[in-house]
Amino acid sequence: MTSIESGQGKGAIELRLVTKRYGKERVVDSVSASIAPGEFFSLLGPSGSGKTTTLMMIAGFADVDEGQILVDGTDIVAIPPQRRGFGMVFQNYAIFPHLSVYDNVAFPLRARKLPDAEIRERVGQALELVRLERFADRFSRQLSGGQQQRVAIARAIVFQPIVVLMDEPLGALDKNLRYQMQVEIKEIQQRLGMTVVYVTHDQEEAMNMSDRIAIMDSGRIEQVGRPAEIYENPASNFIARFLGEANLIAGTIEEVGAGMAVLRTAGGLRLRARADPGVQSGVQANLFVRPERVMIARAEGAAAAEPALNFVSGRLAQTSFLGNILRHAVEIEPGVRVTVDVQNASSGLFRTARETAALTWAAADSVILLR
Amino acid sequence: MNQAKPASPGRRKFTAGVAVATVAPTMFFIGKARAAEQVVVRTPGGVFDDVKKETIYDPFRKETGIEVVPVAATTAKLMAMMKSGQNELDLIDTGDSTLLELEKSNYLQAINYDEFKYTNPADIDPVVKRKYQVGCFIYAMVLGYNTKAIKPGSEPKSWAEFWDLKKFPGRRTLPDMASGTPSLEFALIADGVPMDKLYPLDIDRAFKSMSRIRSAIPKFWDTGALSSTMLADNEVAMGAIWSTRAAVAIDQGAPLGIMWNQNALLAQAYGIPVGAKNLANAKKFIDWSSTPEAQARWLAKYKAIPVNTKAYGATSKDLMDPATGTPWTRSKGFLLDINWWADNRQKVGQYWSKWIIS
Amino acid sequence: MSKPRKFNDPAVLVMPAVLLLALVFVGPLIWFFIQALASIGTPAEIVAHAWAIITSKAVVTALSTTNWISLMVTLLVLLISYPLAYYLANNQGLRFTLVLFCIVVPYFTSIIVRTYSWMVLLGRNGIINQVLQHLGIIDEPLALLYTKTGVLIGMVYVLLPYMVLTLFAAMKAIDPSLMRAARGLGATGFYAFTRIYFPLSIHGVISGSLIVFILAIGFFITPALMGGPSDVMIAMLIERSVEIMFDWSGAAIMSLLLLFATLVLYAIYYRVTDVRRMMRA
Repeated sequence: MTSIESGQGKGAIELRLVTKRYGKERVVDSVSASIAPGEFFSLLGPSGSGKTTTLMMIAGFADVDEGQILVDGTDIVAIPPQRRGFGMVFQNYAIFPHLSVYDNVAFPLRARKLPDAEIRERVGQALELVRLERFADRFSRQLSGGQQQRVAIARAIVFQPIVVLMDEPLGALDKNLRYQMQVEIKEIQQRLGMTVVYVTHDQEEAMNMSDRIAIMDSGRIEQVGRPAEIYENPASNFIARFLGEANLIAGTIEEVGAGMAVLRTAGGLRLRARADPGVQSGVQANLFVRPERVMIARAEGAAAAEPALNFVSGRLAQTSFLGNILRHAVEIEPGVRVTVDVQNASSGLFRTARETAALTWAAADSVILLR
Repeated sequence: MNQAKPASPGRRKFTAGVAVATVAPTMFFIGKARAAEQVVVRTPGGVFDDVKKETIYDPFRKETGIEVVPVAATTAKLMAMMKSGQNELDLIDTGDSTLLELEKSNYLQAINYDEFKYTNPADIDPVVKRKYQVGCFIYAMVLGYNTKAIKPGSEPKSWAEFWDLKKFPGRRTLPDMASGTPSLEFALIADGVPMDKLYPLDIDRAFKSMSRIRSAIPKFWDTGALSSTMLADNEVAMGAIWSTRAAVAIDQGAPLGIMWNQNALLAQAYGIPVGAKNLANAKKFIDWSSTPEAQARWLAKYKAIPVNTKAYGATSKDLMDPATGTPWTRSKGFLLDINWWADNRQKVGQYWSKWIIS
Repeated sequence: MSKPRKFNDPAVLVMPAVLLLALVFVGPLIWFFIQALASIGTPAEIVAHAWAIITSKAVVTALSTTNWISLMVTLLVLLISYPLAYYLANNQGLRFTLVLFCIVVPYFTSIIVRTYSWMVLLGRNGIINQVLQHLGIIDEPLALLYTKTGVLIGMVYVLLPYMVLTLFAAMKAIDPSLMRAARGLGATGFYAFTRIYFPLSIHGVISGSLIVFILAIGFFITPALMGGPSDVMIAMLIERSVEIMFDWSGAAIMSLLLLFATLVLYAIYYRVTDVRRMMRA
């Protein structure tokens, strides 16, 4: 019996070149990742990126065609799902409709043939943890979406698994409830110290909850890192665009040196940004900068030449009111717009359209991404 | 209209409503077929019609221009049809006992033998020449056996021998109540009652006699098809079976033999219902199809005995007793008393229902 | 809020069918019962006559035979259908089509033809007995035909599709992720089946069993052809009363008895399907 089967392990998961094929198509393609014990690890990507299939292979519901999945050093590929000992939360909850909340949560314990007294105690604790003590006798059809979600979580953690797998668990909830549940799940995870592998297509959710995120696209992991890392330093145009709003200004690299590069736009603007050593002069590239990192002001006189900053002037094309922020679109060259987010803190900066605007951002806040 | 004697409660009482529901599709069918001159006949349907169409209906139409329209209907449906006054039939071609039931309810017109033009009424076997019905062929309930199970010549020669399980071991079949007439007569003959002193039947004695061979009867047959199938498949070695069924099966190569001694004579017959719309055509059809020629042509194929005695010469030798030159039914048979059955069928049925489950 | 009824209102659309049924089926049926019973005499006489029929040995025995056979048939059909339906619900493509085809196609053949085919197979000198004798498994032919065994085989075969299709519909409605959840939460296949899958299919089991039982108690062709002399079911008694003895009032009383039993079962069936709808909502 492996440590995972006995429930005695720490919950370290390692994927080694894991591949899943449907016919000729490699829906999961040589995916490798190391997940530390107690880590909240998210697989984030658009639909069809292979994130759910990866999770199903970890769970044991999908066969692994190539590669290994190790839990605390033991390959679990040949172990059937019911013996992997993972807690699982499914898309649409999968609450057993003919069982009460209590019986749903007790299910994993009964399947493990625990004594009744212990079952009562553990189910009680689990329901308390998700604040559903008063709903023990209800059936799923009598519960709200959020409550059903809590049942699913209680059921997944009631047998104290070292690893819990969650497949888009909040997908069916409305936005406010989602945020609240994110916080709750994160709290429970931290309190119990279990490893969580979490699949989602919602980048805010992933960033809010995860210790680390793996961004998946077309069956491959594109980038792994802490949320801030990925957000600030996306490895590709795809990630930059997928993870929040991004400005990507096209141009040609003109100068390279000391981790920085100068990009020249079609209209002749010269902009500085951080660059990898791999970036060479003369190549086509995008300059990436987040909208909230760009400062906007009324154009008043010429800007001082300051190497650590980029200065650009343009005309205000559009302003969107998003509540807490105002989103300005500024045309800096014909056909090139930069999005700028401003806190809705004071009375409006601009009153009329087509006003001239001055944009500023730190060169260190922008990155050159090769096309 | 519903003034029949209420002697037995509920008997022959039913409703116009049901009758309309059951008759309606038939009316539709007839309505479509109605064309020039025609005669609408109730028949048993199936192979019966196939044979009769070729040998009787088609030649009749050629000669008289009258189209014969066969319609299938069970006895119960016939009764319902007549009771509700929804009769669309001109002629009923069915068993003699069914016609008797209809006659007793006053649903039949008398057969006027004086009007016969094609057939000499004197040639018709008096046994089936009745006031309200005239036979169209004669057949019999006989002892049939499987020739693979029992070598011809060593078959039982009487119903007493059929009843002798020691001398003739093996499985047997007899008609079920659902066939209309269970073999009470054979049971009594086997028990020693002379063939000419059968009626009125001693029901109690008959069932006691049947009880003696009950253990050798895996199945009582309710349809003619079942009786010949069981015998041909050697499901049973011997049984009471309609002579026509057995003979047709033999023609088709089934290993069956017929023992004619103590056979019960039965008749298929014509009756004209009250309210027949094509009365003249119905009469003409009866007259025409009772000629020796028509009888011989038809019955050679159907393996039945003609009602017209002038047709004996053309009758299959198998049906004739070589010793007397008459049909086996006349030389070795007895006439099944349909009058007794009409009066006692319900009583026998109730007795049967109890006996069969005891 | 009251809207004018439109022509696409389901209630309006179903009206012609209801009217037709009432006119050509329910109406004559009620009329038949009233007339057949009224011909007996006064209400007291009707009750006495009905009581005599219902308590007669023939009817009591037929009722118990009918019940016993129908119960056995229902049980056997269920046992055979459950795995078949499970297979259908969990397979697609060619396998699904092939199995469904084998189950449903005989359904379109006349019941008499099918029953006669069984007689050819099951007879003393039928194919099954011949094969078994050739193989030396038995010395004497088995009594398969004209026995209760024969009736059961014949009826099970005829009623199988009703159960399979009912169960299939119930199983298709089970969310496959539930079984996956059960296994993911540590249940073995057997545990997951007994605690999750079977309880969720139980409505199909109940409705299917009721349908089969209801159909079984009205059977007469198969028991008449394949049963032994004493395997008399109530529908056979009714048929004989009408066709042979012209005892319409007796037939009416027995029919009412059968109709009553059927309606009670239908009421239960209705409740069950209603509960299922509630469960799904």
